[in-house]
Amino acid sequence: MAVWTRTRGRMMADPGLVVAFAAVGALLVLFVLYPAVRVLIYPRLADYLAIPDNPRWLQAARNSLLMMVLSTLTATAVGFLYAFAISRRDMPLRRLFQTLSVLPLFAPPFMVAFSYILMFGRQGLITKALFGLDVNIFGWQGLWLVQTVAFFPFAALVIGAVLEQISPTVEYAALNLGATEGGVIRTVLFPLARPGVAAAALVVAISVLADFGNAVVIAGGFPLLATEAWFRIEGLADLKGAAVAVALLIVPTMILFLLERYWVGQRTYTVLTGKGTRIEQPPTPPLIRWLLFGGCVVVSAFVVIVYVGVLTGSVATVWGYKWTPTLAHWRLGLAQGGPQLITSLKIGALSALLTSAVAVLAAFITSRPTLPLRNAIDFLAVLPAALPGVFIGVGYLLAFNGPPIILSGTVWILILALSFWHIPLGYQAARAQLKQIDRSIEEAAQNLGATGMRVLWDVYLPLLGPAFMASFINAFIRAVTNLSIVVFLITPRTLVATYSILAMIGGGFWGAAAALTTALLAIPLLGVGAARLVLRVGLRPIGAT
Amino acid sequence: MPDQPHVRLIEVTKRLGTHLAVDGVSLDVAEGTFMTLLGPSGCGKTTLLRMLAGFEAPDEGRILLDGADIAAMPAHRRPVNMMFQSYALFPHLDVAGNIAFGLKQEGLPKADIAERVADIMTLLQLDGLGERRPDRLSGGQRQRVALARSLVKRPRVLLLDEPLAALDRKLREETQFELMDLQARLGLTFVIVTHDQEEAMKVADRIGVMNQGRLVQVAPPEDIYERPVSRWVADFIGDVNLIEGRMIVAGAAAAIETAGGIRFRVGAADQGKAGETVWIALRPEKIAIAVVAGDQPAGAYCGEVVEIGYRGGTSLYKVRLDNGLVMKAAAANTRRSPAQPIGWNDRVALSWAPDAGVVLTQ
Repeated sequence: MAVWTRTRGRMMADPGLVVAFAAVGALLVLFVLYPAVRVLIYPRLADYLAIPDNPRWLQAARNSLLMMVLSTLTATAVGFLYAFAISRRDMPLRRLFQTLSVLPLFAPPFMVAFSYILMFGRQGLITKALFGLDVNIFGWQGLWLVQTVAFFPFAALVIGAVLEQISPTVEYAALNLGATEGGVIRTVLFPLARPGVAAAALVVAISVLADFGNAVVIAGGFPLLATEAWFRIEGLADLKGAAVAVALLIVPTMILFLLERYWVGQRTYTVLTGKGTRIEQPPTPPLIRWLLFGGCVVVSAFVVIVYVGVLTGSVATVWGYKWTPTLAHWRLGLAQGGPQLITSLKIGALSALLTSAVAVLAAFITSRPTLPLRNAIDFLAVLPAALPGVFIGVGYLLAFNGPPIILSGTVWILILALSFWHIPLGYQAARAQLKQIDRSIEEAAQNLGATGMRVLWDVYLPLLGPAFMASFINAFIRAVTNLSIVVFLITPRTLVATYSILAMIGGGFWGAAAALTTALLAIPLLGVGAARLVLRVGLRPIGAT
Repeated sequence: MPDQPHVRLIEVTKRLGTHLAVDGVSLDVAEGTFMTLLGPSGCGKTTLLRMLAGFEAPDEGRILLDGADIAAMPAHRRPVNMMFQSYALFPHLDVAGNIAFGLKQEGLPKADIAERVADIMTLLQLDGLGERRPDRLSGGQRQRVALARSLVKRPRVLLLDEPLAALDRKLREETQFELMDLQARLGLTFVIVTHDQEEAMKVADRIGVMNQGRLVQVAPPEDIYERPVSRWVADFIGDVNLIEGRMIVAGAAAAIETAGGIRFRVGAADQGKAGETVWIALRPEKIAIAVVAGDQPAGAYCGEVVEIGYRGGTSLYKVRLDNGLVMKAAAANTRRSPAQPIGWNDRVALSWAPDAGVVLTQ
């Protein structure tokens, strides 16, 4: 027990750290664990036992799993090929492809669906105006296409990060040992990327299951668990039904999350090299290169169409009938949605600030090797990644509607829900950055008299600047464009832009919806651009001494 | 209290996992000493230093500073500063900011901080670099900043973890002299960890030689070199010939006999009893080597040169003696001539004074 007493002794010597530890722990328990538990215990056991008797539940669960399998397969496959293509230094237009694949990450989660209705639907610019076809995009096939385009960038990001780690020297080693150029790809690069592909598939699968925005816009009468929860509340005021739906939903997302974290996450290969001399990759065989290039062009076209669709939708007079440009939709959209847009930005900024502060503090605390319970904090800080937005939405609705804490109807319930849902990414970025910082830096600070909290304030916070910014940008964009949580928590006094857009799409005001979506998209993009500019000027790269 | 040691370790033991990193080490360091902990990598010397700094807590034993146990004192309160092997400069602070960091933690007035930072920068020839970032400094400058940062707090003890390992040889030698000079001027207690024997010899007042977690010998450098306590110490520091044999006569005029029946006379043996297996440790530079033509000169051993290691200032000759032993002898290259005075396969005679070797029992 000597270890325990020594740990305690050290902690007590540092009251600041103890207070921070208690505060972060309390916040995570209250705003992550508590709502989750409330959802799960809200339906009675009988309600859970009645699930098999309700064909609607079974249908929704089956459909959700079907979409998960279909969309995950295609999005991961596309993401892998795309990531592999842009990992080749000799790929033409590599930078352009790279930028295009990142763009959907900034888009509101319903945007792909909305845009594809405009482009490929019954009144579609491509299907009707260009080819004179009559296509019904609503339903599972449309959703499949939309989810593939919406989520392949996640897969490409995860797999790309793994491919980036592969040193070109292993390719040369394989060539030197007699492998052909195609053989190198098949026998070396693909196997090395395999853990990345597995991780990507799991991340995509969770996103597909949790996808609310696209599903609610394009799935039509195709019941899914994520949308079912909202229909229960919106149409029937059936809180218990909503809780059952999201409880069903987190069974697979939790399994996928745990698989990702404790199985695939441990299995990434580290390619050991000597000194890090960066040498050029060997050239990609021409046939493979041009095939990949062709694939990238097709995929990029689908991405570009998303943006073209919304942009033209915002200026065409009557979609499908009268294509002459007009600014009427912008006027209408901004007049109706302008105030909500401002509310969205305020909520986004506040919640992103809170997200980043808690994320960085939690990362600092869990990186203390001697702190007890740090694994519990670590788990709570990444847990929201496993919880679909609709689950969080229903959870907050149930948890903060009555004592001990009543928040419903206020803007704070939105801010808190969005903040704590977005913590994992910032937290993981901060953890990764903390690992980069040599341990002796902290020891030097201690040795010079800095207490635990002074170490955080004087050393880690300045060094964690980039992680904080990354977390802030990510959380801001996601909060501003969020739909899955806000639909459960808004009231007429706290309307936000995404909800207005959804209402406009539902009401057939496509032009105004497109205009407001464009505005909603432009703001984060401009924000990121500005932040990048500030970062480049204001912060130096963090290098070891 | 003049005879109370400044730093005292009593039976300190530290386990890292199942590995016994430090094994029952006791050590006294007097005030104002330049103490060097020397040993191969993994011998526990850095762990010992980290326990002094408070980064690790000993599993057993006590650590006293001026007679007071500091085991419970957290790292940030110890009047002990450390210079890190990696320097651990704060990348987000400039030179002045790095040096001022520790003073700011004490909450000193701004003017005092500025003055002390300026003083130490002058002392370490860092004037004019105050606003540079660590990544804009040369290796030598970084080393000085790290030193300044740990000195500016006026610690009771300064710990230096391989402080010169990152410097190239020339700069390292210059800096060694500067460190000695600095230590003499400030009168501080320095505890330095190194794996470089030459560096330890040069800078230290006392050397503590460590192996596998144990402190095997603590003595001034010349004692470590000339009077090692074991074969391991003799072999770790410098070159040595070890001749195994049985002690025939112990004491003031000792003699030993090898398994092949060759007798060696040794001046005086501190260790060893008659009949015991012992080793003579004989440094190559204490052996005279000369080319011989005819018979074996009296008191010398003849043999053939089998290998020559040219080292610039000196050469090391490996000689197979007629009695079967292989010995190393060093000779200074006093003349600049294309042909070596002693060549391969030359017949040579080796001789040494009776007290050149030291008798070891372990």
